[in-house]
Amino acid sequence: MSVTSNNDIARAIYLMSKDKSSSEQKNISEKVVKFLFKKRLLSKAPDILLRLKKIINGEEGRIEAKISSVEALSHQTKTSLEQALKKRYSVKEVTLKENIDKKLLGGIKIEVDDEVVDLSVKNKINKLQEYLTKTV
Amino acid sequence: MNSNTIVENLKKEIENFSLQMKVEKVGKVVEVFDGIAKVSGLSDIKSSEMVTFPNGETGVALNLEEDAVGVIILGDFSKIKEGDEVKATGKILEIPVGDSILGRVVNAIGAPIDGKGAIKASKTYPIEKVAPGVVTRQAVDQAVATGIKVIDAIIPVGRGQRELIIGDRQTGKTAIAIDAILNQKGQNMICVYVSIGQKDSKLRKLGARLEAGGAMDYTVIVSAGASEAASMSYIAPYAGVSIAEYFMDQGKDVLIIYDDLSKHAVAYREISLLLRRPPGREAYPGDVFYLHSRLLERACRRNAKYGGGSITALPIVETQAGDVSAYIPTNVISITDGQIFLETDLFYKGIRPAVNVGLSVSRVGSSAQIKGMKKVAGTLKLDLAQFRELEAFAQFGSDLDESTKKQLERGKRAVEVLKQLQYSPIKIENQIVTLYALTKGYMDDVAIDKIKEFENGLVEYCERHAKVFYKEIKESKMWTDKGEMELKKAIADFKVGFSK
Repeated sequence: MSVTSNNDIARAIYLMSKDKSSSEQKNISEKVVKFLFKKRLLSKAPDILLRLKKIINGEEGRIEAKISSVEALSHQTKTSLEQALKKRYSVKEVTLKENIDKKLLGGIKIEVDDEVVDLSVKNKINKLQEYLTKTV
Repeated sequence: MNSNTIVENLKKEIENFSLQMKVEKVGKVVEVFDGIAKVSGLSDIKSSEMVTFPNGETGVALNLEEDAVGVIILGDFSKIKEGDEVKATGKILEIPVGDSILGRVVNAIGAPIDGKGAIKASKTYPIEKVAPGVVTRQAVDQAVATGIKVIDAIIPVGRGQRELIIGDRQTGKTAIAIDAILNQKGQNMICVYVSIGQKDSKLRKLGARLEAGGAMDYTVIVSAGASEAASMSYIAPYAGVSIAEYFMDQGKDVLIIYDDLSKHAVAYREISLLLRRPPGREAYPGDVFYLHSRLLERACRRNAKYGGGSITALPIVETQAGDVSAYIPTNVISITDGQIFLETDLFYKGIRPAVNVGLSVSRVGSSAQIKGMKKVAGTLKLDLAQFRELEAFAQFGSDLDESTKKQLERGKRAVEVLKQLQYSPIKIENQIVTLYALTKGYMDDVAIDKIKEFENGLVEYCERHAKVFYKEIKESKMWTDKGEMELKKAIADFKVGFSK
């Protein structure tokens, strides 16, 4: 017995509606909704949409990065961050989602999907504590 | 040390500290229950990779699914919340090992639990390792002296062998294992005792016993208690064998005891069912055979070219009402190189250790047995086999012919001689003397209730009056005519004194 996962459905939807005109796309969307209804998968729609978004982002070379910092970042920092991320993930476009988090104490924390680069002061202090208690 | 030096030291340490920028893979806890966490994210994680939870607990990724990972939590899972950040470490689960671990009690992840402070570890060893291959191995040809007459004589265990101890509850399975550890004093052997799902009170008692017998100097206890999570019970034997491998890699001989593997299988069944793996026979998962075979395969004798050393494994399996055809007992019997079968009936008849000599076998041990012992044990085995056959006729008493009667009497004495008190291991030389006297018929006219007294007296007497014999056994593992003559004379002399 094979199970069709939400990811499979999302990928199927993407492949169907790729390179199609808007009228065709409308037609496809209708069919998709009907299919989900028939298979009783409508309750899974939010998850499927989320995955669809990820797939489209992946296919079109876009990534979303969440940047946490103590205070708002300057324009210059943002552009250089964007450049660095573009290079690292070899994508065309980077969307930055900013997040203010006082608990970090300083520095920034970059999250892309499940990858995290933690450059916050809080993390550094934690690491220092670990290091000092280990050697004693 | 004054405050200034402390500050100075701290400064130095902080200067040395450098933080590397590192990309970390993280996931989020989706659900937690019964020691299992479902974690989303964590792409590219390996199977049985270590992960860390925010409160410092570690976990092991076992189930890798499309968009979630099933993680078993090692330790306290009550503080882990939904949405907690889980970090992948990129390392397969490993435990710290070092020479200072000797004499300590550690838990399944190598942390000390005996309150004697931290253990200085020189290395870490992965918990799961592929067993040594064919080219690195050597045939088993050296004996493990367990100090238990019935085992050393009839079911000998060799270094690198895997000998199962099987029996119902309360038949003395652990007692055999403990006696074997106690007897390793001065035998150039490191012992690892892995306690899986045992009561802490039992462990305490056992630890005290080993301490009193001076056995803790060469013993490590790995414990996953009954109150700890099933995941700890699951990894404890692998942790134990990793410690054993550390010592084997130094060319040492190691004796490892798994007490017991039926509880280990039960713990693994619990984890598997919680991870929704399909259940099979007796609700055990499909890979329960591999669970034990890969563990016991790591017991081996390595040849000198690959560093030598050996791991002898004594797994223990508990049966229910003597049923050896249950799933786990049959599995482990087929994996091991023989079994020591303990029976409740024998135990209550007063035959202790309650070893059923007929059903117990050692498939490779006989080539490891020392020559002198082999000589006396051969006759003993024959005597016992004939006795078992004739035992049914014993009730006819006087109607039996002379030779049958004689065999029955010999058999009764053999059974009596093989009885042995707990915690009193016997030196191999003394075992040979006793069995020599038995098989050559010197005990045939000693009353059965006097056998023990006779045995103890004889051993003491021969130690003083048959020094050549003892020396020969010690040096060349076999006696010569000269030694035998001396022993015969000593036994005869002792008998004269004894019957008075």
